[in-house]
Order: sequence, then structure tokens, then C-alpha cells
Amino acid sequence: MRFNVVSYLIKEGFKSTFKQKKMTGASIIIMCATMFIFGLFFVIGENVNSVITQIESQQGIQIFIDEDATDAEIETLGNQIRAIPGVNRATFVSKEDALNSMKTTLGDESLFEGWDEENPFPASYFVTLTDLSLNEQVQSEILALDNVDEIQSENTTINRLQSLANGIQITTIIILILLIIISIFIISYTIKLTVHARRREISIMKYVGATNGFIRGPFVVEGVIIGVISAIITLVILGIAYNAVMNSIGDSVLLQEMGFGLLSFSEMFYLVLGVYLILGVGIGVLGSAISMRKYLKV
Amino acid sequence: MIEFRNVSKKYETGTEAIHNINFKINKGEFAFLVGSSGSGKSTIIKLILKEEEPTSGNIIINGKDTTFLKPSRVPFLRRSMGIVFQDFRLLPDKTVYENVAFAMYVVRATPKHIRRQVPMVLSLVGLANKAKVYPNELSGGEQQRVALARAIVNNPSMLIADEPTGNLDPNTAWDIMELLNDINLRGTTVVVATHAKDIVDKMNKRVIRIDKGNIVRDEKGGYDEV
Ligand SMILES: Nc1ncnc2c1ncn2[C@@H]1O[C@H](COP(=O)(O)OP(=O)(O)OP(=O)(O)O)[C@@H](O)[C@H]1O
Ligand SMILES: [Mg+2]
Repeated sequence: MRFNVVSYLIKEGFKSTFKQKKMTGASIIIMCATMFIFGLFFVIGENVNSVITQIESQQGIQIFIDEDATDAEIETLGNQIRAIPGVNRATFVSKEDALNSMKTTLGDESLFEGWDEENPFPASYFVTLTDLSLNEQVQSEILALDNVDEIQSENTTINRLQSLANGIQITTIIILILLIIISIFIISYTIKLTVHARRREISIMKYVGATNGFIRGPFVVEGVIIGVISAIITLVILGIAYNAVMNSIGDSVLLQEMGFGLLSFSEMFYLVLGVYLILGVGIGVLGSAISMRKYLKV
Repeated sequence: MIEFRNVSKKYETGTEAIHNINFKINKGEFAFLVGSSGSGKSTIIKLILKEEEPTSGNIIINGKDTTFLKPSRVPFLRRSMGIVFQDFRLLPDKTVYENVAFAMYVVRATPKHIRRQVPMVLSLVGLANKAKVYPNELSGGEQQRVALARAIVNNPSMLIADEPTGNLDPNTAWDIMELLNDINLRGTTVVVATHAKDIVDKMNKRVIRIDKGNIVRDEKGGYDEV
């Protein structure tokens, strides 16, 4: 494309965007509102996923080994566990390690006097997972192995978090679909008004042989302008709202005690920006394509 | 140049606007389409422009059958035709110069070409001194001249006019018709649909007469049969 065509498209696009000020304003407001709601669920989902990842790296399964297993059998068990899909690491914890860690946890060695000879703690493997959703499957596979005495894990916490994450993901997807439908409708309606206002020009363009792409260009630009403006406004509002919320709950005792950090908005900035821009541009293009269908038929 | 082979057109409403029409207009010819209101003149013009599709038959333009022309090629077909309507169809917020330049702009002519071509066609239609004026400051005849300038500015091989003098008084109408004749003399094929008996008689060109969708006469001469 020659430069004068690009500048023509952009100039005409801006001109028609601001000709229908009221309708353009209304569609930007509606798009911002729906994008904001979507953005809320999106950042909440991002945080839950980040918490889950943090748990995944800490939370493990403790596999207690039969007392009478030989060193070779313990070795084999370790290799079998590592071969299970979804297992990240399997660390051997000997009877002595278990006792020592209990001593450090309680901080009072005198309590354990004489235990070294008659150590009641069983040896175990501490297993971490690559993906928490594989928790139950991995556990049942481990239980089927020889020399496994018992498994200990925080099943309920893991399952609850996982279903929360799933719920948020489904909600986000539903909101995303609604956002796309509402926004395409409102943008195409807005552009239809400008198309209608310029129908005379369009019909002349067609009679003198302008291609559909050339005629459609400024209206696509119009849709993209509305989409991008909405995306940027929503990003700013979401950032402000998010930081305000983080300031009030960020240093809450509960979160600190749990040891999980929430994401800061700057960590998500480029992701949210990218998602918003893709949505804004995509919705703009689709909306304008729909609004032009009727007028390009002849 | 323009050939209709057994062309019929039935609108969705059920109206059969033209029945099994055959004619051929050669390169450089000047032809009138005449007939009473509702006889099918505008339908023929819309078919030439491929604004409407024939129900059956073939339409050949510049040696190419347009029946199966892809929609994306239609703009390029139209670039070979200049089009003029009864109601001028100028853009009110653009000057005379801009209205003409617009037709070049949208087919992506270079700015240099536009600057050279527009003043030339404006002087050809006798409006060199009205370039900066807006359409509502012009008489009907002058507006139709602007439309004519716009129609020929891209050097089309044919000029199609649907009642170009319908809104003009007889003297102005005659001026426009002389202009169409000048354009024809420069080698452009010209097709004019019209009711204007006096003009058709005076011009003494080929007359294709349509009646209720049929060609009832096709010969050189006046509006009515001799
Ligand atoms: N878009 C359309 N849909 C349905 N019927 C149509 C359409 N356009 C024209 N017709 C019908 O087709 C017939 C021919 O119309 P057309 O416009 O070709 O006549 P015409 O010769 O140009 O008349 P006029 O001299 O009044 O302009 C008429 O009966 C008209 O009602
Ligand atoms: Mg007509």
C-alpha cells in the first residue's frame, strides 16, 4: 500500500469516529464496562493460578515406607515414583532426617532423649507434583506400588483450590463470550450509523470502481479506534482499582500467615494490555465487517 | 463492447422487467435507450453496471462475459465505465474540484496524476473557473457537468447515462447532450437512456426502443418510427 492510502484510511477513520460523538461515546462506555468486569475475573483468576503454583511448589505428598523394606527396595520405590507422570521430585527422607526435622520444628532436643536408638519415625519419600490436578491420579498409582505403607497429603485444600480455579476459569470464559457478543453488537451498530450517514459517498465510490476493501477501510479503522480507546481506558481503571484493593488487603495478616504473595498489577500489566488490545482490535474489525455487509452488496 | 445475449431480468418482486433482449453496441458508438416509464431502461443500465444480475442470458462487456465475474472483480469492470444519473449525485460537502478528484482518489490514482487530470476535464466540461465552488452554488446544468467530469476523469472506455437531462430545462439539456457528443467524438462509447424526444430527434443517432421489456425497434433515426 502506498503511504497516501494509509494516511487516507486513518484520517477518514478518525473523522467518522468523531462524527457520531454520542454513539461513539456510548459504545466506548459499554465496552469499558464489560471489559472491566472481564478484567476483574481475569486478574482474580491470574492470582488464584499464581497461588496454586506457589502451593504446587511447596505442597507435597508424604509417602511412608514399610518398616521392613530393604535399602535396595527403598531405592527401587524411589525410581518407580519418579517414573510416574506428574511427579516433579521425590526426595528421600530417612528415619534420622525425620527425627532431626521434628527436633528443629519443636526446638527442644531434650524431649527426644533416647529416641535415637528407638526412632519411631518411618522413612519416607517427599513427592512434589508438576500439576496439582494430577494429585489423585498420582496418589493412586503410588498406593499400588510395593513397600508403601501410607500416604499423607492435604487433599482437601488442593481439591478446593483446584475447583475454585476451574470455577473462575469457566466464569471468565462466559464473561469473555458475553463481552465479545455485546461489544460486537454495539460497535457494529455505531458504525452502521456512520455508514448510513455516508451512504451517498459509499454509493459513488462503488460506481466509480473503488474496491470493497478500500470502502471498508475507514470503517474498520473506526471500529479499531473504538476498541483500542476502550481497551486503554479500561486498563487504566482496572489498574487503579486493583492497586486500591491491594493496598487495603495486601498486608492482611491472613495472607502473610499463609505465606502466599498476590500479584502486583505491574506483573500482569503486559498480559492484561495484550489481552485487551487483541480483544479491542478483534471486536473492532468484526463489528465493522458486520455493519458493512448490507452496503457492500451492490 | 456491450452485448446482450438473450438477457431476461425478473426482480424478486416477480416483475419481469426485460424479456429475452439482444443487442450489441460497438466501440465508439453513440446509442439512445428510449421507451416509456417502466419499460426497462434503467434495468438495462443496472445490468450493464452489474448492479443487478440477469435472471438468464449473457452480458458481454469489452469482450468479456460478465455473467460469472467474481464480485471482487466488479470494481475493475466499473472502472471501464463512467456513470451519470438524473440526480447528479455529487457530494455536497466537497468542492467541484474535490468531487472530481474523489473519483480518482478512490481508485488510488497518484496525487500527481490527479493534479494534472482534474483541471483538464473541468475545462473540457466548461467549468475551469468553478473548481473551488460547492455543488449547491451551481445550477442544475453545471452540476450535471461536474458529474460528467467525474464520470470521464478516469478515462473510461464507455459512458453510461440514465436520464442525464431529466432534471434540466431544454436548453441546458441540449448543452449536456452536445457535451456527451463531444465525449463520444473523442472515442468513448456512449449509452444514454432518455425520455427527451426533441433531443433524440435532433441528434439523429442509433435508437434502441424498449416497450414492456422488449426491444421493439433498433435503428438510426428519431425518437419515433418514421
Ligand atoms: N429494484 C426493483 N425491484 C423490483 N422491481 C423493480 C426494481 N427496479 C425496477 N423494477 C420494475 O421493473 C420495471 C422496469 O423498471 P425500470 O426502472 O427499468 O424502468 P425505466 O424504463 O427506467 O422507467 P423510467 O423511465 O420511469 O425510469 C418496472 O415495472 C419497475 O417497477
Ligand atoms: Mg429509469
